[in-house]
Amino acid sequence: MGYAAARGGAEAIVAAERLVRQVREEGSSPQLGVDQVEERMTLAVDRVMGEAGLWAPELAARALRQAQGDLVEASHLLRAYRSTRPRLARAVTVSSDELEILRRIVPAYRVPSGPQLLGRTLDYVGRLLEVPEPRPATDGATRAAAAEGATAATAAAIATGDASVPDRGAPATPVTQGEPEPPPGQNGSLSLPDRRPRRLLDLLRGQGLAVDRRRCDDPEPYDVLRQPVRPGVPRSARLSTMARAETGALVNLWYRNVLGPDGYIHEITLGEVRHGRLPVRVEHPVTGRPVVIGAVRVTEVEAIESLDGPDEPTDLFDVGYGLCLGHNERKAIAMANLDIALERDQGRSLLEQSVLMTTDGLESSGFLEHLKLPHYVTFRSMIERKLAARQAAAAERDRPDLHETPLDGSRPSEARQEDDEAVPPVAAGAPA
Amino acid sequence: MSVTELTAASLDDEFAHLDEQSKREIRTALLTAVAVPGYQVPFGSREMPVARGWGSGGLQITLSIIGPDDVVKVIDQGDDAGVNAANLRRLIVATTAVQETTDAGAASIIQTRHRVPEQPLGPGQIFVLQVPVPEPLRGVERDMRELRRMHAEADYSRMWVSLYEDIVRHGVVTRTTGYPVLVGGRYVMATTPIPRWDVPKLHQASFLSLFGAGREKRVYAVPPHTSVEPLTFEDVAFEVEQTQGASCLLCEADDTYLVEVPARAAWICSDTDWCSRRRDHLGGETGGVTLKTGRATVGRAKADGITADGATADRVGTGGVAADGVTAKTDRATAGGVAADGVTAKTAGAGGIMVDRATADRVAADGVPAVPARSQRRPSVPGWTLQVDGLTRLFGPVTGCRDVSFAVAPGEAVGIIGESGSGKSTVLRCLAGDLAPTAGSAVLVRHGQCSQEQVRLFELDDTARRVLRIATLAIVYQDPAEGLDLRVSAGGNIAERLTAAGWRHFGRIRSRARSLLERVEVPVDRMDDPVATFSGGMRQRVQLAKAVVNQPALLLLDEPTTGLDASVAAGVLDLIRDLLEETGISAVVVSHDMSVISMLTSRVVVMHRGRVVEGGLTDQLLEDPQHAYSQRLVAAARG
Repeated sequence: MGYAAARGGAEAIVAAERLVRQVREEGSSPQLGVDQVEERMTLAVDRVMGEAGLWAPELAARALRQAQGDLVEASHLLRAYRSTRPRLARAVTVSSDELEILRRIVPAYRVPSGPQLLGRTLDYVGRLLEVPEPRPATDGATRAAAAEGATAATAAAIATGDASVPDRGAPATPVTQGEPEPPPGQNGSLSLPDRRPRRLLDLLRGQGLAVDRRRCDDPEPYDVLRQPVRPGVPRSARLSTMARAETGALVNLWYRNVLGPDGYIHEITLGEVRHGRLPVRVEHPVTGRPVVIGAVRVTEVEAIESLDGPDEPTDLFDVGYGLCLGHNERKAIAMANLDIALERDQGRSLLEQSVLMTTDGLESSGFLEHLKLPHYVTFRSMIERKLAARQAAAAERDRPDLHETPLDGSRPSEARQEDDEAVPPVAAGAPA
Repeated sequence: MSVTELTAASLDDEFAHLDEQSKREIRTALLTAVAVPGYQVPFGSREMPVARGWGSGGLQITLSIIGPDDVVKVIDQGDDAGVNAANLRRLIVATTAVQETTDAGAASIIQTRHRVPEQPLGPGQIFVLQVPVPEPLRGVERDMRELRRMHAEADYSRMWVSLYEDIVRHGVVTRTTGYPVLVGGRYVMATTPIPRWDVPKLHQASFLSLFGAGREKRVYAVPPHTSVEPLTFEDVAFEVEQTQGASCLLCEADDTYLVEVPARAAWICSDTDWCSRRRDHLGGETGGVTLKTGRATVGRAKADGITADGATADRVGTGGVAADGVTAKTDRATAGGVAADGVTAKTAGAGGIMVDRATADRVAADGVPAVPARSQRRPSVPGWTLQVDGLTRLFGPVTGCRDVSFAVAPGEAVGIIGESGSGKSTVLRCLAGDLAPTAGSAVLVRHGQCSQEQVRLFELDDTARRVLRIATLAIVYQDPAEGLDLRVSAGGNIAERLTAAGWRHFGRIRSRARSLLERVEVPVDRMDDPVATFSGGMRQRVQLAKAVVNQPALLLLDEPTTGLDASVAAGVLDLIRDLLEETGISAVVVSHDMSVISMLTSRVVVMHRGRVVEGGLTDQLLEDPQHAYSQRLVAAARG
């Protein structure tokens, strides 16, 4: 019995687990420390946190190590872990204007208000595989500087485009008036860029060039974890779904809709690409006042769309929005473009269903992989129907009166059941 | 403080993996599911330690309802020892320390993938099924918004059409596992991929079945003593898997679900525990084990009329029109349900619109209504009138039509003529419900013998309008693709209307469709070909047949011959005229062509720039047009 080998039951599972553990724990090199994963594999950790929808760098690093680097698997570990935890509180809504930027670029303008802050990015690091490996920077100072938010390194990465532009280094221009002062962090130096610059959308709004979709009723965001999404949900549900989506799925959906046969997407111009920190607040259980309990890093994107539809104000721009946990610009950009595409689509196509139902990494991977489970009961049923259809066709062919009574309404099934006594209409399995 | 530390304090009483809030939430969803059998209840599905698609839904249900005293059995493909079953059982037992068993009779909770145990389950037992795809209609519709509407309105006619097409194409219903069933006479439900063999076991069962789809975030249920009827026509048997002459290599059973062992050219039971128990029993080691399989359930299902009707009804189906009519009532009585339920559900779903019931009654009473002979008015068709008053439709600043009023008497055909952009099609689309009017009213009045029934067309909600369009109001579009599903056969397109009106007898549906197609002169040997393979004229004929198949009160025709070649158009025009004459259906005919109007209608209104400029008897208008525009029209027709 060929299939028996693949279903050794509990013992086989235990054996498989043992083999997995071997890779994790044994081998010739020292075991990978969770702190190493967290510190060195930051983009992978960020991606896992984003796709899991849970900010927990240490747990994400642990999950990554346990999953042997498989990102979807690691997100699964993190999400399944969270299923065992109660919800203790709801965070108070924060405005993303509070984002303290670590990186910000504005491709739409050469000199935007506020800085073009390149920050830490792989964008312009040559894609040269470093063989042999360069000598590691060993001194603690450099290592510290490499950490995000460290002043010297970040400041050095400022690229305001053109040194001759007067705006440069003048964070106290009208652009920042009325904005909250940057917190007196590690540095209060005026030569450093504005950490909370106004966003490009404000500029467009100021010029009367953008559709204003801000709403006054301020509904609670849709909780995608408690209420399953389906087409027709509010925008907050679409955004939450995309924020948790698998990066590759979102990128593919975007690309497919730009280039594929059924495209719905119009390419946007990027207004803001930001990576920075947002405070997390909860209401104090005693005073009821919001208190900051920590911060998360997020990537935020504003995508400027030129409206050109027949029922659209073609003299205006509209803006799509993307935001996800961690540093993951691919995802946030795809999300922002899909957001505005959905807004413009107004449910005319099935794009919303694609976004809502097909981009979750756990769902698509799990369903794909479930094909590996035994399916012999269903397959047997399929074979049975193939044979039944074949038998019906044979009965139809053998019918002597086929051409004499074409109008009597007999169909193969009727004919078969009437003519062929060997096949009872109701076969309760093998005849007793 | 880390997440782990923050949440640690509330996990003192950790049991069954999920936190208590989650379990409560899932149980709430399950209660809803039990209260509305067969309805898919959305729930906040949690990520589990097993992958989506690997039983995460079933696992969440089990873990939410399990208590320390439960005894659990887990199977996959009927096998307790399969890797997936072993893994899930390990998870359940590890986090609950409940007792596990392989004995289906001893378990209080049985979680399964793809099988119902052979041993009949009893009261008090809970049967948890892992569901990969909870939506039974996905094969006929992909758009989730539309799917939701179909369930809400119990609009399952496309499902019936797919079964019809299946039989037509393959001679049998080729659906394999996960066979669709009607639960409690209301919701069509997917039976997960359990084989058809197991489906009858769910019917009027004494145990509770809970279905969990973790990936798609739905749970649904079949409470004890609920009807679970496989969707099949009254005269087409529901067939379970056959393994003729085969028996289990190990236990020699021939009354269980057997799976093939190709290498040995043999069969074995898929239910391994049942198989080994039976072997023990045969070996005389275990006494007192009941070895009556679920087969008994199949027998009971037969008695209930799910399956048994097939044999007799089938002969009826081939026995010709007259015989059909005679046996129809008996048939319905014994089947006791599907068709009648369907009709009732539809009426209820329509929020008490009486039209549908009336039509259904009419159709049912007629048995197979033969197409009436020429010029023979059907006395049973009640008289309908349409009164349109002040119909206005604006498109922003543009006038579609303004203040249009006219009336249609019973059996009368009224024409609306005008050039492109005159607003005539706007009027028709408002009447059909494809466009919402800006102002005005349209009332269909049915004059019964002692009562009058009114349908105010513009005040109907979408559901009521859809119901109205099943059998009271039909429209023939200029483009046949609008009124037909081109992928479906000609017969299937007509079956769609008939099944929507509650028809559930394959033979009768085919007879009716065939006679209609004959009437509209579509060659009967093309009946089973997809309409996409038809010429334009033939498509239009099929659309006509589909429109009149339920003998609507009012037929709307929108430029019915405009897209056709002149010679083809003439034939179709003749056909329409004859059909209207024979059936006594009232009609509104929209055309830009005076010859069409003069041939089909007795009265006409002339529209120009959105308004009615003239109206009267068609003959009179042709003779003596008053308005300048009408004069131009008539002159053009003569020229």
